[in-house]
Amino acid sequence: MLSNPARTTSELRVRLEQMARRRRLSDAGGAPALCSGHAALDALLPGGGWPLGALTELLSDQCGIGELELLLPALQNLARRGRCLVWIAPPYVPYAPALLQRGLALERLLWIRTERPQAALWAAEQALRCPAVGAVLAWSEYIVDRSLRRLQLAAESGDTFGILHRPAAAAGEPSPAALRLQLQPLGEDLGVEIRKARGARAGIHLRLSLRLSPALPAAPPAPAPALASPATSTLFFASSDALAMHPSASTAA
Amino acid sequence: MLWLCIRLPALRHEALAADEGEALERLCAWAYQWSSRVCSRRGDEMRPPLLWLELAASRALFGEPAALLARIERELRDMGYSHVCAIAPTPAAAALLTHSSARDGVSRCLLTHVALGEQLASLPLRLLALPLETRDALRSAGLACIGEVLAMPRAALARRFGPDCTHYLARLLGEVDDPQPSFRLPAVYRARCVFDYDLQDTQGLLFPLQRLLQEFQGYLRARDRAVLNFRLELEHVRRASGSREHSSSTLTIGLSTPAREAARFLTLVRERLQNLALSAPVSALTLAADAFTAPAVVQADLFGSETQQLGELTHLLDRLRARLGVEAVQELLLYADHRPERAFGSSPSATAMTRRVDAHTGSITAAITASPTNAARPGALLAPAQHIEAPTTLLTGPERIASGWWDGDDVVRDYYVARAADGSRQWVFHDLRENSWYLQGLWI
Repeated sequence: MLSNPARTTSELRVRLEQMARRRRLSDAGGAPALCSGHAALDALLPGGGWPLGALTELLSDQCGIGELELLLPALQNLARRGRCLVWIAPPYVPYAPALLQRGLALERLLWIRTERPQAALWAAEQALRCPAVGAVLAWSEYIVDRSLRRLQLAAESGDTFGILHRPAAAAGEPSPAALRLQLQPLGEDLGVEIRKARGARAGIHLRLSLRLSPALPAAPPAPAPALASPATSTLFFASSDALAMHPSASTAA
Repeated sequence: MLWLCIRLPALRHEALAADEGEALERLCAWAYQWSSRVCSRRGDEMRPPLLWLELAASRALFGEPAALLARIERELRDMGYSHVCAIAPTPAAAALLTHSSARDGVSRCLLTHVALGEQLASLPLRLLALPLETRDALRSAGLACIGEVLAMPRAALARRFGPDCTHYLARLLGEVDDPQPSFRLPAVYRARCVFDYDLQDTQGLLFPLQRLLQEFQGYLRARDRAVLNFRLELEHVRRASGSREHSSSTLTIGLSTPAREAARFLTLVRERLQNLALSAPVSALTLAADAFTAPAVVQADLFGSETQQLGELTHLLDRLRARLGVEAVQELLLYADHRPERAFGSSPSATAMTRRVDAHTGSITAAITASPTNAARPGALLAPAQHIEAPTTLLTGPERIASGWWDGDDVVRDYYVARAADGSRQWVFHDLRENSWYLQGLWI
């Protein structure tokens, strides 16, 4: 039959991938892991990085504390390898120029927009099961235990990095996730508490400093509402100072 | 030549076709994937419909007839068609042998032309496709099996029963040609199922659909074509106080890469039906396709799994779209505009990550990646921006953005990074024209 050669090579490849995965498993002495890019964090995580083929929960009530920066080195790594990153119903717009600045190729990003929590869960499950997907970023206000289990099972079927953002209050509930991190802002830094790490100690706090808003000039001591005078002459250039500091920020239409 | 004959005792009923002709037409199209010579004969009260495939010419492509027979029987079984098969060097002999296959369910195969008559000799003469009166007359003359009939002088038979009788025997033994009107594949595909009773829910549609899609796959293989979309046309009927109200609806199932695998179609159809509320019970269903493309060539490369990954991704996208709707699956785009809310966009993902970066997007990408630090942007955008009180803690800024005078939506804004009371970092701007503050982004 015509399809036979294709079948044998794909079978062979599956075997190879299984062997490679087993190798990774044994090397890590446990589940496969993806380097997080933060040495202090890697040192505390079983396998030395984010667990792959499992769910990771980020617990926090705030949005905008550097949660993406925390994941970024790993996501960049996955994107470089040609894996797709799927954002499932984020509570905001994933901002394309910013993602590109952070080295995430847009053609590898997929944004699932849905208002229905059930649809989002279903989409997350499908994405976790797809071998071409490197990471799934999902958000959930409220999720029942059964759905969590389904997600964890879907994650276990492959080697995808599954990230679920949940409110801080969820820390009190049991969860099948392999890793649960509670996040909170600590001034310029991000405070991370390991609430659960399958195969390692929990309850450890650490402080990560992330470059959140690089290379912008420091704010003037007093943000001057005086600037607000609607002067047409400042349409293009705020002030000679600002121009000197970041010429490209103003636009020449 | 080698003919496979398939007897289909319950075809019309099982195919859910409005009439037997349509059912045979569908199965002929399906069978064409294995043979370029397919023909059929409609049944009557006495005899069920028959379907023939010439197998000898397909040997190079599909292997030995016995192997192909097993494959064909498996598909028939999967589709739920009762069938009896037999293989013989002539169409008439194959049809005859299906009777003896029917008794024990084992398909009879006569693969050589040598001594065909002797191999048929021991079979009872009632199997001959001769008029009932002829068979009765032969039996009353003391004949019991085919061998005895074949031993009679042909001239005597012709005199007694007419030339049709001897001509049949000659065709049976392959002494004369048995030209059959060959089936021709239609240029567009249309297959219709009429249900015995109205289907109330979409799950009930899945079973007939499974078969329709399998037949469709056969048709596509036969033509060596694939599709990017196909239609399901539902005929609804609402019975109210004695009258029947007819209506119809159409579902278009789209794919991002050309496909012809029934299993893939079925997954998408299932997702689509899951979310579908029927406006009224369904009385009939038509699968239709009229635009075809070349099938996607899958190159099996051992170490570069990119092709395979792309395939997986395509399947994922198709499934997501089928269930959540086309609008729910978006890819991100860039626009050359300094106003943050206009610098990005998204569109329903058209292709599976195969989107070529066009020159326009490419240049913006280059501009952004070349100087990543000159205007840092937050990962999350609020659209539209939220009006806020003047922030208390500004960390960095300002970055002046003044733009848009040409389209009437000109802005003059100073952007800052601010720390909110809850510790999160915000991207805020001071609108210099309104003298008010807005929250536009979050440094996630």
